Amino acid sequence: MSTVVYLDRISKAYEKKIAVKDLSLQIDSGVMFGLLGPNGAGKTSSIRMMIGITMPDSGTVNLFGQPFTRESLKRVGYLPEERGLYKKMKVMDQLVFMGELRGLDPAVAGRRAHDWCERLQILDAVQKKTEELSKGMQQKIQFIATLLHDPELIIMDEPFSGLDPVNATLLQDTLIDLKKAGKAILFSTHRMDQVEKLCDAICLINGGQAVLAGGMREIKSRYERNRVLLNFEGDNSFLQHPAIADYKDYGGQAEIQLKPHANAQDLLREAVQKATIYKFELVEPSLEEIFIRTVGEKVDA
Amino acid sequence: MRDTLLIAKREYLEQVRGKAFKITTILIPLLFVALVGVMTLASRNSGVGKHLVVASSDAALANRVRDQLVSDKDARATVDVDAPVAGTERQALLTKVDQKDLDGFLWLDTSAPDAAKATYESRSAGDYATESRLQSAVNHALVAERLVARGIPSNEVEALTQRVDVDTVQIKNGKETESSSLSTFWAAYAMSFLLSFTVIMYGMNVGRSVIQEKTSRIFEVMLSTVKASDMLAGKLIGIGAVGLTQLAIWAVAAALFASSALATTLLSGEFKVAVSTPQIILFILYFILGYALYSTLFAGLAATCDTEQELQQYTPLAAVPIWLSFGMITFIVTNPNSIWSVAISMFPPCAPITMFLRLASQFPPLWQIVLSLGLMALSVVVLLWISSRIYRVGILMYGKRATLPEIVRWLRYS
Repeated sequence: MSTVVYLDRISKAYEKKIAVKDLSLQIDSGVMFGLLGPNGAGKTSSIRMMIGITMPDSGTVNLFGQPFTRESLKRVGYLPEERGLYKKMKVMDQLVFMGELRGLDPAVAGRRAHDWCERLQILDAVQKKTEELSKGMQQKIQFIATLLHDPELIIMDEPFSGLDPVNATLLQDTLIDLKKAGKAILFSTHRMDQVEKLCDAICLINGGQAVLAGGMREIKSRYERNRVLLNFEGDNSFLQHPAIADYKDYGGQAEIQLKPHANAQDLLREAVQKATIYKFELVEPSLEEIFIRTVGEKVDA
Repeated sequence: MRDTLLIAKREYLEQVRGKAFKITTILIPLLFVALVGVMTLASRNSGVGKHLVVASSDAALANRVRDQLVSDKDARATVDVDAPVAGTERQALLTKVDQKDLDGFLWLDTSAPDAAKATYESRSAGDYATESRLQSAVNHALVAERLVARGIPSNEVEALTQRVDVDTVQIKNGKETESSSLSTFWAAYAMSFLLSFTVIMYGMNVGRSVIQEKTSRIFEVMLSTVKASDMLAGKLIGIGAVGLTQLAIWAVAAALFASSALATTLLSGEFKVAVSTPQIILFILYFILGYALYSTLFAGLAATCDTEQELQQYTPLAAVPIWLSFGMITFIVTNPNSIWSVAISMFPPCAPITMFLRLASQFPPLWQIVLSLGLMALSVVVLLWISSRIYRVGILMYGKRATLPEIVRWLRYS
């Protein structure tokens, strides 16, 4: 495992606002890294500095263990959030063109484009003009264009936005395969639920600053499992148990928030005595909750 | 460099294969031919087939004028004589003109000997062709009349008043050349016309193409591998090559047409066109520099806009130099070496057009051509520096059109 991206306290300010402030992060090969934050938090600004579209006002960017050079961009695949294709170009021509720009030989680019189109099930569209394709198809083509030159670092800004569930899963599986093949993958999103399943490490940013960073498991373990999902039938008086801070009863289904350091097992024992329990799950806090808590704390501070 | 060429190639192929290229390649020469045709026909037919009355107290003079007018076969005029006429009949003639029974009448007042007065009255003002025909007919008739009055036999009068047409021969390098001034004039005139709109058309084309890439957000994808300056260079080279291709197609087509039998009959006489090798070389140079100037300007401007409509608000920047140049046509053609003609042919935005207008009259001194090309090249370099900086920042800015202070700030970004 080697370090692919290393950002050391990078900052960028535009006229009136500070887009990124003292952001540091590290991404290793074979890691799926999530860059999270609400809209306008500085995700895209950070990514643009990472790949030299803009230069940081201060701080350094290291890619593949060296200070940033344009040459290293040949080893990077970037799928921006706002993305386009040449509308009048045929899909295959477009993919070969993109491959050539990234240093591939036209024949190699053509062969790889063909293989990828087959894998993503759009082979019958390769001779069509881009403007004739659906949005989802165009997105797949952009996805392929990003990966054609077999980059060691893959950066995707909101990769799943606008995709139907079937295609989103297809792309997710592809990303997981790439990760297993040792690529470093960074993706940014404001949809926390996607990250939970996919990412090994995350960095949460808000207002241009990192508010939470680290391995997914490590971060989650910092937070208590204090939420219970319960399916039951019968008497619901156990919901008055002293361990419960707050609850919502949907009649047969309840969502319970425990008091800090409360013993969930006590609650389960009491519930079993009073009602028939179909399910009792002690869930770990979702990333979304962690985010809201972290950002909320910061706002309060 | 490799990236620049790849982008240029893509741009070139897309445009050359596009519909717009095919349509303009065919349509523009057709329009051009149609325009020249209409102009020729119109000038041949102006002041033709008029019904006139020559009214005078002197019947002999009136008849001479009529004979002169009728002898001009091109005019195909119907001329009646109303002589001798009394002053009171003038009102009747006015009424006839007003009721469109007549196109106009010529009133010859010979009451004062040796100070004859001629008035032409018609509904249209500014009918220069008829006016000049009348002028020449009246003067010719008066001279003849006076000669007869001084005892010259009328058969000799014809010989004495024989008209002479002036042939123009241009002196080049101290030698008389065959080509008449009209044929060189038409060639250079046509070339300056062609230059003006190809330069602007392709300059605007670059602007439009930048806007399209901006709205489709291709820049976001491209900039992760390619430098903004390479993209701009590739685009300028690619579209410029499209322009040269189109000009080459027209040149070949024109050469084929000129060598055909049809051309020999059509292009005889006044519309003979003569194109020399230096003109062709200068045409290419001025096209390239003019295109570079306008395309760089529009590429920079387009980067500050979000939609094609916004870009169109900048169109006067291209239109004004053209109006200025063509507004000065008559002046430049008649005074090709005056200080103003020289100055405007040095002014980069106008140089491609005005230098060719000067070429229409005579070949300007070489140093002036070199200086004007040099100034253009210099302004292209300066503009390229400014535009590429605006471009680099602007293509990633969305939202409203950038204001001037914002653009100035972009220039300072590194």
